[in-house]
Amino acid sequence: MLEEAGEEVLGSVLLKASCLPLSFLLVLPAVLLLLLGPPPASAAHEFTVYRMQQYELGGQPYGTRNAVLNTEARTVEADVLSRRCVMMRLMDFSYEQYQKALRQSAGAVVIILPQSMLSVPQDVIRQFMEREPEMLAMETIVPVYFAEEDDELLSIYEQTQAASASQGSASAAEVLLHTATANGFQMVTSGAQSKAISDWQITSVEGRLTGLGGEDLPTIVIVAHYDSFGVAPWLSHGADSNGSGVSVLLELARLFSRLYTYKRTHAGYNLLFFASGGGKFNYQGTKRWLEDNLDHTDSSLLQDNVAFVLCLDTLGRGNSLHLHVSKPPKEGTLQYAFLKELELVVASQFPEVKFSMVHKKINLAEDMLAWEHERFAIRRLPAFTVSHLESHRDGLRNSIMDVRSAAGARVNSQILTRNTRIIIEALTRVIYNLTGKGVPADLQVFTEQMVSKCEPAGSVLIQQEQMESVMDWLTSQPRAAQLVDKDSTFINTLEYYMSRYLKDVKQHHIKADKRDPEFVFYDQLKQVMNAYRVKPAIFDLLLALCIAAYLGIAYVAVQHFSLLYKLVRRVSFKSKQQ
Amino acid sequence: MTLFHFGNCFALAYFPYFITYKCSGLSEYNAFWRCVQAGATYLFVQLCKMLFLATFFPTWEGGAGAYDFIGEFMKATVDLADLVGLHLVMSRNAGKGEYKIMVAAMGWATAELIMSRCIPLWVGARGIEFDWKYIQMSIDSNISLVHYIAMAALVWMFTRYDLPKHYRLPLTFLLGISVYKAFFMESFVHIFLLGSWTALLVKAVITGLLSLSSLTLFVTLVHSN
Repeated sequence: MLEEAGEEVLGSVLLKASCLPLSFLLVLPAVLLLLLGPPPASAAHEFTVYRMQQYELGGQPYGTRNAVLNTEARTVEADVLSRRCVMMRLMDFSYEQYQKALRQSAGAVVIILPQSMLSVPQDVIRQFMEREPEMLAMETIVPVYFAEEDDELLSIYEQTQAASASQGSASAAEVLLHTATANGFQMVTSGAQSKAISDWQITSVEGRLTGLGGEDLPTIVIVAHYDSFGVAPWLSHGADSNGSGVSVLLELARLFSRLYTYKRTHAGYNLLFFASGGGKFNYQGTKRWLEDNLDHTDSSLLQDNVAFVLCLDTLGRGNSLHLHVSKPPKEGTLQYAFLKELELVVASQFPEVKFSMVHKKINLAEDMLAWEHERFAIRRLPAFTVSHLESHRDGLRNSIMDVRSAAGARVNSQILTRNTRIIIEALTRVIYNLTGKGVPADLQVFTEQMVSKCEPAGSVLIQQEQMESVMDWLTSQPRAAQLVDKDSTFINTLEYYMSRYLKDVKQHHIKADKRDPEFVFYDQLKQVMNAYRVKPAIFDLLLALCIAAYLGIAYVAVQHFSLLYKLVRRVSFKSKQQ
Repeated sequence: MTLFHFGNCFALAYFPYFITYKCSGLSEYNAFWRCVQAGATYLFVQLCKMLFLATFFPTWEGGAGAYDFIGEFMKATVDLADLVGLHLVMSRNAGKGEYKIMVAAMGWATAELIMSRCIPLWVGARGIEFDWKYIQMSIDSNISLVHYIAMAALVWMFTRYDLPKHYRLPLTFLLGISVYKAFFMESFVHIFLLGSWTALLVKAVITGLLSLSSLTLFVTLVHSN
């Protein structure tokens, strides 16, 4: 196109003034082009990459510090990795090699993830999960990227691997031949350097159901943080942590909203639902929500008569349930009653579930709080967390491997429904004081017969399909705290969903302090990476030699053209004479 | 790649022209401006061709990957204008036959080289991405130099008023081949799905044969009387 246009322009000018010095016209575009910089070439392969986390929490930096990448690719097999982009596959990822690459001052690391986690063996997933927090805690100056595997990328990886492996043990001739035939790849990201996002708002959503009878009713707070966390924000779908918690919270909201519409089942407890943001960043959303409610407002449900705070975290897998407390509840309190009801429900209705209470004191010396209930416990509110995990250190809570369906670790909607049932059975028993009224322990409240008096009856049952579709919605997008802003469709949908069942639904926004920020997020988390095919400098040198030889031959041939001329003449004359 | 790579491609594309110009004795005839004039004629002829194509051959919008044989053939027919252009250049120059042929061919081929290969080389060979096609493009420019010399020689012979009758048929045949060569090559590549290197080799062989036959005809014609 360019040349044609150029020709046309040149031609038309020529028609008008053919006497203009033509050489000038020809030289001008060349000069113009010379002044322009080197052009962006079309890339051999273009793919999306997701950058490792970059954030600061309490002044402490985490993750990688860099986003710009323009280096040649190598695999870990190569001898020299310094200032190279080291490519690794998740399938043969080892933390030692990752560390080795960073120690050798590699220019960048690109980790290639398979398209579906279903094909990854469980031990690889487990191992990677355990390493994720270490990768984030390690000081990483260079950029670390994650890419999803496709055929092109795999072929690039294999070519790079072949080149890297053959580098060490080959003769000079082999290396020369190799440079002419094999390809190197220059990895280039298109984005700019990462910088801190100023004034990022973390959004939480709250809603309530008001109890029946008077002013000073006890309040039960049900909390689940909605955000997900993993080594790369764009890849953290957080199915179990904490998509399962949110879906249980939404189901509880739906069921209680049904119960609270009937006068006979309208209990004397206020229910406050809170889907908190920033949960993976030391529960920032919860912290400020508490501060705003307890310190800055005159009237709040949280200020007086909180029965207990129930936090929901990781409830989608496994056959055990744990109630995490920071202080064992005293006899006679409502929390103690709830604990007993939970034990009772599990023992009499779900004997396959292992239930236990886990007591862990709050360690204020640590950077991170273990569970969300500790935020409430610090403010002297009775609180606990229900989870199927025994320890808060479980890698599952902070992993990109926590997807809806990975090999052997699927978030099972049956288990999710069962856990919801256990929690709501225990909650209703507390709220309506069923044990005190002599209701037998093995009586399930949320069954067809029990709710048939309500209209419409089905709506007061736990709906597995609905929970599954809520889970599908939650895991269809990465919900990392850096990606969910207050206008995002996720928050809007969440708010809409909650306002269908709850009253006074509102968003709660927090911003980090300007001078001494508790958290700082960085941008450039998703980028386009180009892999350009390149050759080493020695190849150009070799090519120059070949071209020089060719030109030499051409020179000799043109010089001795008369020989060919004479030969042709002789041959043609011979044929004519015959 | 690098500027060095561009230098490589540039040397491969341009130096044979320079060598030919120097060694063929054109430089001794002070033929530079004559060559430039030939180049200007090339530009003019290309412009006319483009106007003609744009008017009578609107873009063929067939399915992707399909090859429009008839359309391409008609487009190749327009290349007959090249022959007229070459004749025009040669008829304006007075001199020996070889001299006229060389001036016309050199000017013509150099103009083509500058107009159609300079910018792609500059843009492509200097980019980050390495591709063999720039080397191939440079080699191709060498082939087209030989092609245009042969073509100019054929035109010169064809337009001689003292051309013996029995020369007319082979000359027409060769001229036809030289005009439709690009079309044949493209169809060939398309039908047999040749790789770029094989296509280049085939092109070189065809051009070599064409120019050798032209040379034979030229030699017999010049030395017969």
